Amino acid sequence: MEQFIYYLKVSFVSIKRAPLPYALTIFILSVGLGIFFANATFYYQLNSDPLPHKSSKLFFPMMLLAPYECTDCKPPAVLSYSNIEKLSQSDIPSAKTAMYSADGYLRKNAEQTPMPVNIRITQRDFFSMFDVPLLHGSVWPDNSARLEIILSKATAEKLFGRTDAVGEKLLLDDRHLTVTAVLDDWQMLPRLYDANNRNHLSPADDIYLPLETGYDMNYLSNTQSQTFDDTDYRKLSTQGRTGALNQLQYWVQLDTPTAQQAYKQFMANLAQDEKVAGRHPSEPNNQLVAMRNIVNYFGGESSDIKAFALVTLLFLLVCLFNASHLSLNRYLGNQYEFSLRRALGASRGQLQLQMLADVLLMAVFTIAGALLTGYAGIKLMNHLLPRNSLFSSWDLPLLLSLLAVAFICSYLVTLYPSLRASFGTLNQQLKE
Amino acid sequence: MITLTNLSKIFRTELIETHALRDINLQVNEGEFAALTGPSGSGKSTLLNILGTLENFDAGDYLLDGISVKGLSDAALSKLRNEKIGFIFQSFNLIKDFSIYDNIELPLRYRGLKASERKQRIEHALELVGLHARRDYLPGQLSGGQQQRVAIARAIAGQPRILLADEPTGNLDSLMARQVMELLEQINQQGCTILMVTHDPDQARRAGRHIQIIDGQLSDAVLYDPLAAQSA
Amino acid sequence: MSLYLLCKVLFSRKVVTALLLLQLAMTLALLLNSLLLAQQTQQQLNQPTGLDLDNTLLVQLKPTTAALRVYPALEELLNRQLDAVQAVPGVIAAAYSNQSVLLHGGNNGNIYVLEQQERTNVSTVPMYFVSKGFFNVLDSKVIQGELPQHSVSLDAPGSPDVVLTSSLADKLFAGTPAVGQQINRGRVAAVINDFYGQRSGDHIMYNSVQVAPPYGVDWGYSILLRTDPAQTESVRRQLASVLRNVESNIEIYHIRSLAEQHQHLYRNEYGLAMLLGVLSALMLLVTMVSSYSSTHFHALKRQQEIGIKRALGASKSLILLELLSENWLCTALGSMLGVALALWLNQALAQVISIPALNWYLPVITIAVLLLCVTVATWYPAATATRVSPATATKAL
Repeated sequence: MEQFIYYLKVSFVSIKRAPLPYALTIFILSVGLGIFFANATFYYQLNSDPLPHKSSKLFFPMMLLAPYECTDCKPPAVLSYSNIEKLSQSDIPSAKTAMYSADGYLRKNAEQTPMPVNIRITQRDFFSMFDVPLLHGSVWPDNSARLEIILSKATAEKLFGRTDAVGEKLLLDDRHLTVTAVLDDWQMLPRLYDANNRNHLSPADDIYLPLETGYDMNYLSNTQSQTFDDTDYRKLSTQGRTGALNQLQYWVQLDTPTAQQAYKQFMANLAQDEKVAGRHPSEPNNQLVAMRNIVNYFGGESSDIKAFALVTLLFLLVCLFNASHLSLNRYLGNQYEFSLRRALGASRGQLQLQMLADVLLMAVFTIAGALLTGYAGIKLMNHLLPRNSLFSSWDLPLLLSLLAVAFICSYLVTLYPSLRASFGTLNQQLKE
Repeated sequence: MITLTNLSKIFRTELIETHALRDINLQVNEGEFAALTGPSGSGKSTLLNILGTLENFDAGDYLLDGISVKGLSDAALSKLRNEKIGFIFQSFNLIKDFSIYDNIELPLRYRGLKASERKQRIEHALELVGLHARRDYLPGQLSGGQQQRVAIARAIAGQPRILLADEPTGNLDSLMARQVMELLEQINQQGCTILMVTHDPDQARRAGRHIQIIDGQLSDAVLYDPLAAQSA
Repeated sequence: MSLYLLCKVLFSRKVVTALLLLQLAMTLALLLNSLLLAQQTQQQLNQPTGLDLDNTLLVQLKPTTAALRVYPALEELLNRQLDAVQAVPGVIAAAYSNQSVLLHGGNNGNIYVLEQQERTNVSTVPMYFVSKGFFNVLDSKVIQGELPQHSVSLDAPGSPDVVLTSSLADKLFAGTPAVGQQINRGRVAAVINDFYGQRSGDHIMYNSVQVAPPYGVDWGYSILLRTDPAQTESVRRQLASVLRNVESNIEIYHIRSLAEQHQHLYRNEYGLAMLLGVLSALMLLVTMVSSYSSTHFHALKRQQEIGIKRALGASKSLILLELLSENWLCTALGSMLGVALALWLNQALAQVISIPALNWYLPVITIAVLLLCVTVATWYPAATATRVSPATATKAL
């Protein structure tokens, strides 16, 4: 230990001898790593799996069950109420839920100013399927229409100043509803259950309403609704349930490969029956999309982050080259001293230890600089690409891997130059 | 050729002023071979540097070929050095990663000579120093004596009017030193003025003229008669 | 100055030169592609919109109570709001619309000439349901026909007449007169000049407009205003309070000029171009640091050599030129590599984002910028190096 402190001291002395090149090396490494960190954060968070233990069991069945003739078409990105009805008839999935989202205004009573809220209109299984934590109350017992809503924790606090609001009465767009449950803090990132139109980047919703009630109350989807016939979308509760008004997303949980195979067969049979019944003229096109692939399926991958990832990687390389160049110059400047040490009997191993002290010191400075630059980079990216701003936080595994990268970079930058300095021909350097 | 009148050089630090050279008056004529001797720190290198326009001076005047170098711009001084003065250093001062040929070519390039003329001059100079076969070697591959001969070839390739040599044999053994001296004498016989700093009394005696410098002042410059010296 | 000798110096330091070349190449590649992207964004932002961006204001809003979102209360609210904003001094024209112009996507659908669906179908055309002042707000030029003068309910028998933008009319009717023809949305009443509708549509200038109260306002609606240029700002300041005075149960999402809306539409491209710009600037800085330090150290190591050269008759300016030329040569070589690398990066980027192909003049400009930066960065250490005293340097060791 005492010996290592001595090595650290020697490192300090050699920094003090030429502070400018050292500072420049640190600066360049910090900038390169910081920019890389900033983008890596988004890249990592955007591509992370929010439900690692079950994401491989969750699927979105896509079916081309629409009354239009079309060859080689992708199925519509959203399904109609009647599509869902038919898909729900299967008991193969261990859980299933249909959903969409809408805008509404919520208040405690008619005297209060209405508060805009985002409503997830969905079914009972939603909460178990996506591991939504409940703080108070219980989820609807079935999928029938009921005037009961579930609040997010933040919404409950905003309205009542407390979390336990079960049993309270509320006005949602001037219709009376009762609170049956309040969720605990929950934010699925990325929000893969709603990946259409890049909505997986959005925050979680404020309140949850049963699907049947949503249709009864005529809520139109605020993200995508399409009609393929002359359904009047103002008459959602009647025509919307039968016509080709598509606005629903549907998820099923299929626990085993056998179940997945069976469900595919079920979809094929359904498409065939529908075609025979003359309800859709196109060739069947069924897709059972796994949750992990859903963003890709909807083409919602963050191409800007991807493009930027390529570029920041190049930038990091440039900075690494540059820093090793600088540090090579610095070591060559100290070569005489290295040779002298070896002449005085330092073994290569001891010189390597000295080098390790150099690396450690450089890593500390670099990590500090890189974290600062990374933080600034994230702020800048949030400002310029605000859609991704939910994905800008650092968690422990990310932070640790970033630190590891910084250490490796410091090591690489110091390795070649110091090897060159310590393995040069002794004799010649001393003579020079 | 060279006329110094009341030339002085002072080195200043924050605390002290050192008179490196004091009221030097010196006349060196065309074709002379002069040896400059003196103890360490006497100012002989400073004098040589001033003569070579590598250093400036504080007072007095220096006429080279009748032209005062005082107040000449850097570019003019460089041109003067390049065309009129050749240098030979104790540590040879060849550029390590240039070949022998490239080293000799350097001053000729600065003068802007055409490639064919450069080639002709370099070959002539290499012929003279007897290193024609080694033209593509790097300096590190040659012995000290050979390196110094390359340096001489570099100095004379530009056909300077005056050759300034700073202990040209200081790093060489006696055999090689003798070869170098002979080469310098040969060059001097072809009409080139030579001013040489040396520690070696024998070499000083061989030169046509011996100038001594002590504490920044010229002592009586004694003109040796080589024959008289030999008989003494 | 001899190129041969310069190359010799450069390649005697293999590792350092290779690093420098690679770095210069990467900088150039990145710089070039950032510029391309910035240029593309600039072009997108500068493309004609057919709109007076600076003097048209847009309010996006929605009634917060359910009662106000159904007819006839809704139509009454719309008219009261229009009357109120029209009375604000400086407002030349005002209109409501189910959606704004300059959107990414919105309310749209397919459009075709009746009985010719196969041949004429255009799949994604925005549908605007507006008050009759809409054309006045956009300052539309009528190219054919006459603008509808009365608002007709969408629920009334027969559909309200349709106004098409000229490029859509050309697409549907290929030069033959459009007015009087029947399309799936109704009878064509007029053709007006193009304006920018929706970015994700078939064509940004394809639009169909009907003078009718919107079906519903579940997604909110827009109030568009054309203002006197001198009073745009003052109108803008008053809008929120004027609208709230008419009806307090509304949520105003935003009030923007169309110029801001346009910016907003290309926010992502702008953000990416800006980020790449920042990165390019950093890269230039890093290159400058590298040029600076390589010259600095190199000159330090070569003090003796510089001294010898000075003694042999090289003037200070010649030494400076020599040191600069070394870096210029390095930059030139790096640039050649860089252009190749830029082409590769361009293709790699084109896989994930839309980026135009490399042209010939951008590399020239970029190389010039790079050379300038390298020169600036080299100048100081090179100039310092020339001040080496030849007398001391030749004596050294």
